[in-house]
Formats: sequence, structure tokens, C-alpha cells
Amino acid sequence: MNGPDAPEKSLIPQQFAFLEPFVETWGHLRTQDERYAKRQALDQEELEAFHAALAHRLEEVFTHLDQFDPQALPEAEALLFRVALGLTEAAQAVEIFGQPRVPHAPFPHGVAIAWNGYQPH
Amino acid sequence: MVNIEEHMTKARDLGLENDRVPVEYYTSAAYFRREQDMIFRRAWLMVGRVEDVAEPGDFIVRDVPPLKASVIIARGKDGKVRAFHNTCSHRGVALVCQDRGNALTFRCPYHAWIYRIDGSLSAIPAEQDFPHVDKAANGLAPIHLDTWAGFIFLNFADEPEATLPEFLAGLDTMLDGAPFDQFPFSIQVSDEIDCNWKNLVNAFNEGYHVAVLHNKTLRAAVVPKDNPHLHYLDIKQFGPHSAGTVPRNFDYDPQAPALTWVYAQMLPTSAPDVAAINEGRAGFYEHPGINRLKIPNFGTETITIFPNISIQPLANGYLFYQFWPMSEGRMRTDVRIYSRHAPRTLREEFAMASTLAATRDVVVEDMAMSRLQQIGFESGGKKYQQFGQNEPLLRMFTRDYEAYLAGGGMPRQPDKAEAAE
Repeated sequence: MNGPDAPEKSLIPQQFAFLEPFVETWGHLRTQDERYAKRQALDQEELEAFHAALAHRLEEVFTHLDQFDPQALPEAEALLFRVALGLTEAAQAVEIFGQPRVPHAPFPHGVAIAWNGYQPH
Repeated sequence: MVNIEEHMTKARDLGLENDRVPVEYYTSAAYFRREQDMIFRRAWLMVGRVEDVAEPGDFIVRDVPPLKASVIIARGKDGKVRAFHNTCSHRGVALVCQDRGNALTFRCPYHAWIYRIDGSLSAIPAEQDFPHVDKAANGLAPIHLDTWAGFIFLNFADEPEATLPEFLAGLDTMLDGAPFDQFPFSIQVSDEIDCNWKNLVNAFNEGYHVAVLHNKTLRAAVVPKDNPHLHYLDIKQFGPHSAGTVPRNFDYDPQAPALTWVYAQMLPTSAPDVAAINEGRAGFYEHPGINRLKIPNFGTETITIFPNISIQPLANGYLFYQFWPMSEGRMRTDVRIYSRHAPRTLREEFAMASTLAATRDVVVEDMAMSRLQQIGFESGGKKYQQFGQNEPLLRMFTRDYEAYLAGGGMPRQPDKAEAAE
């Protein structure tokens, strides 16, 4: 347990330290709907900063992740993958809409998602 | 070279003159009650795929919102797929509480009455206190079930007015052998919206809105220069069902970095796999009932099955949409993205999650607009909405909707009618 004064040390693999600023925001979300909700709640500037840091380096991230069994990821790699998955939502805001939310949609908006026969990360 | 304009089916080409429809159809509780009785208790309703219950003992539970029905669909030890109302013969409890599973028996959690997977009643605890209950006559209440192309349909009538093949009215023959079974893996997105279900049915039955509402999401990928209002081509009618050909832009080449990376891992369901097309292994593209015009920039054949299904076969899978009324002003949309297999790598999981987000956002645009439309309808300033010559499928749906409400719509069965005379 970390004391209240000791910031929790991130486990993200060291060569991906450039993602450190985004771990708190994206690293602990476990479902696509949580990521969708986070994207709607953030400012566009924050989404753009995340996109700018990661979108051009996806290949590096996955070249690293390729070394591991997808069903038995070590904790650090699982965290890295969860951060990366945040980009599936952030990219919609940055590359498609130019704003965090789908125009005219209710806010906050959630949908029920089920992957039939597969447990996503 | 196909002259596209010649194949832009207009309402007048199909003899559809109903150019406006009362707003009341979309706002009135009385109309909703008639829809429940005259459409949803009469038509065959699609509720799943045979792959959902692939093995003996596999079962799923699905609800049918307009009828408030909870349905168990189960594959018996004999391999037969059956459907039952999810209600115990004893005191009525909806006894199966899991969404899916595999079992040999269902046990009611209230008093432990036990049913076999084929619906028959197997055991009553303290049976001596139920001398009046004939076990052979007190199985789970069956629902008529049939399948086409691996899709499971139910019919809630005591005696269906038409068989499933009669109901499908030739759509089934046109799509005979279409390779839906090559795409067994699905991701489902569901949402409830404050609007009438027919708002969404209509949205999927015209391409006129795509360049406007989907300006940022779909326009670049699917609206070609020679068809700027995305007019559906070569519309075919099969009773109340239809199919129309929709083009896309094969030169669409997204430059945004995340999207580009995703395309390089695993093409989204909607993106044409040019290599596969050229090699004749692009799934639905090869089927003779699809893209009859042989347009070179074929996108999808949008298939509508009355009353509430839209299916879009694509190069890498298919999209399935279903629109369920819950009341006159609330509905549920179910979207399923079908692909060849579950993710095998983290790259594929990321690509599928991206496709899921992108597909969801397009449907969110449609649902958002359908909600605004409902607000406008209920405001009451307009008694009618208007359907253009370029919206023939909206006129066709309304024609068949009215026929069903009036007690018709289903294919005639001369044998039964004659027998009754």
C-alpha cells in the first residue's frame, strides 16, 4: 500500500514513459463504454494531447505487446494495452468529429456492449 | 459501364404514391397497441443466430420488447432448436435467469420444478400435492420457431398465418446460400432511445441523409461523386421486404494516423478488401443475389426484413440492426457487427474496438436525429411527414405497415382459406 503522500508508481513499461501523463486518465478503464464516457467528459485539448502522443507510435506499442500471450499479459503490459485502447475513443473525437461528443447525442451517453464469446481487455 | 442514374429507383417506378404519412403513426399509444397485435403478434420476428446455440444444451434468453416476452431458445439433445416462454408452469416465474449457457435441465429458483432442455416438465418436488397436474401437458409454453440462413425467427401467433418461407416472399431465394455462416463472431451494441421505432426503420431505408447527418463519419467513405444523395440502386421488393444496392468510394484512403494504423491491422467490417474481391473470396460480394448491377464500387446490399430488421452484407462481414418498440415514444436499437473470428491478437482487439467505436458513433448519429425527430413530432405543429421520390422504401414500409394494421400484409394461404369455407 502506498501512503497518502507517496504517489502510486506507474507500472507502465519504461520505454513507454511518454504515456505516463495519460495513465491516470485511461489506464484504469476496463470497458469500451467506460472509455466512451471518458472521451465525452474530457476537453478536446486533452484528447488531442493524448492522440498526439500515441497515434504515431501505435506500431511501437504493439511491437512490444506482440511478445506476450494476449490472454496472460503481465500487469505492466496490460496497463499499457488499456492506455492504448483509450485511443480507440479519443481518435473518434480527434480524427472524425473535431469535438469530444457525437453532435446532438444526449450527454452523458452510454450504450450496452457485449463481445459474444470473447473477453476484451 | 453502368449508368447509375438509370438504376436510382424512384417511388414512382414502384407505383408508390403515398408521399406523406400521418405523424400520429409515430406518436399515438393507440397505434402502438395496434402494432403489438397486428404486426408483432403476426409477423415472423428474428431473434438470433443458430451459432448462438451451436451445441446440444446451449441456450440463450432473449426478450421481445413490444410483446414483453422473455424467450428461452435452446438446442435439444436431438439437435433441434426450440423456443419457449420463460415462465414456470407452477407459479409463472421467469425461471432461466442467465443470458446464455449450456444445460440439460432448467430448474425454477422458486420451488425447483425441473424442465428438460426440450421444454418438457421432468420433476415436481412433493409431486403428490399436485395430482391435478399432468406433467406431459405442463411443459414450458412453446413458441413457433423456424430458421432461414442461420437466422432464428419466432412467431407469436397461436397458428402462424404464413410459414417462414411464405413470409420471406422470395427474399430468401434471392439470398439462398449467402455466406452469413462465414462470419460467426459478433459484437453487440444496444441502446434505448426516446423515439418511435419507425424513426430508425426509416433512417436505415434511405441514403438521402448520409451526406448530411453522417458528414464527418461516413460521407467520405460511402458517398460517390456520381450519386451525391446516396440514392439506393436497383431496389427489389419481396412482399414487405426489400433489398437495394448501395455504392461506396473505393478510393477512400483515410490519412488520419490512428485510423490508418487500424486499417493496416484488420480491415473494418465495412471496408472493401480489394485483394479478396479480386481473388473472388470476398464473402457476400460473390453472391449472385447481391449487386446484380455489378457496379464496380459496390458497398453493400441493404436488406430490410419487415417489420424491424436491416442487414448490410459487406466484404468483411455484415452489420445487423434491429429496432424494437417499447412504447410509442421509446425503443431499443440492437446493432451487431459480425466478423470472421474473435480477435486473435491484441492488434486485432484494438482494431475491432476501433471499428466498434466508429460503427457505434454512426448509429448514435442516427439515434440522436431520431430523438430530435420525435421531439418535433410530439410538439404537434405538423400533422404529416413527407417522403420524397428518392425515399421509396419509406413509402413501401408505410404501405405494408398500413396493410398489417388493417389485418392484411401476410401472404395469402389459399389452401387454408378454402378449407375454412
